[in-house]
Amino acid sequence: MTAETKTQHSRPRTLIHPGPFNPVRINSLRSSTARHVRLALQPGTSLYDGLVRPLQELGIHAASTTILGGYFDCLDYCVAPPDPSGQAVIAYSQPREAGSTYMVFGNATIGKNMKGDPIVHCHAAIRTEDGAVMGGHILTDTAMVGHAPIPVLVTSLDAFDLRVAFDPETNIPLLQPVSGENHE
Amino acid sequence: MSEQQNIVVESGSMGRVAYARIAPNEDLVLGVEKMCLAEGFRNAFVRGALGSLVDACLGTRDGKYLEVKGPAVEIVSLAGEVRPDSDGSLRAALTGVVADPEGNVYGGPFIAGANPICMTFEVTLEEWLPAK
Repeated sequence: MTAETKTQHSRPRTLIHPGPFNPVRINSLRSSTARHVRLALQPGTSLYDGLVRPLQELGIHAASTTILGGYFDCLDYCVAPPDPSGQAVIAYSQPREAGSTYMVFGNATIGKNMKGDPIVHCHAAIRTEDGAVMGGHILTDTAMVGHAPIPVLVTSLDAFDLRVAFDPETNIPLLQPVSGENHE
Repeated sequence: MSEQQNIVVESGSMGRVAYARIAPNEDLVLGVEKMCLAEGFRNAFVRGALGSLVDACLGTRDGKYLEVKGPAVEIVSLAGEVRPDSDGSLRAALTGVVADPEGNVYGGPFIAGANPICMTFEVTLEEWLPAK
């Protein structure tokens, strides 16, 4: 059983990660202002392409986005159980096929991978083909937008970059904000 | 009820925007408040957030707690705001949907101090500047 209602909540658990503790617990950067863009993910494109291509044309390389709900012809997602290898506390599961899916609500972060190519990190609540409402990490390159455009609100982060960097503490690569060379 | 909570309509404008990666074992709600301290925000809205929790603790209407056991419990949607409380302290109110390690979803308000981050939490806050 994974959920239970209680009159008193449990004490939070402090997990031990494989790598050295990083004394910086909140790594944050700010911009003096945000640009906002409304995008429409186009039918037949992947979630990845539908987000990345129009934003690249606008010169937006770092952004937080809200996916405002819509249908996907196919969508795969992962859940996050404990890592059986012990290399990290958690490892994503093998992809699960949700089939023809309604995305109820999603958030996607856009940044760059270690090679400098665009990356989209997306978590969402979905209604799968069999009708179950589920949630997890969405595979953005294989999620294909369905018959109708899907609206997205984009908040751009213009003064810095978001880059995937190896995080020694958790022993996995993670998106981190970094001061860009061409920024303020 | 504080003066803040009595406000029906508050006009204002958006100010600065900040993005943070909050590290494992930090509390989700208190972490967002501390991020506002780091960036000098006194009022803010969440503009995007995702990540994972060790376990999730959500409030219920009758004052109980819905506990979702991980690790990890993925944060799959989150909305919320940060505002100063009547005593001047900062208070984040965050609500959202989480998924357990099997992908089953639960929703509610996140209880401050009871939602430790598992691997990472990525959050974008946009500053809200109430008109004087």
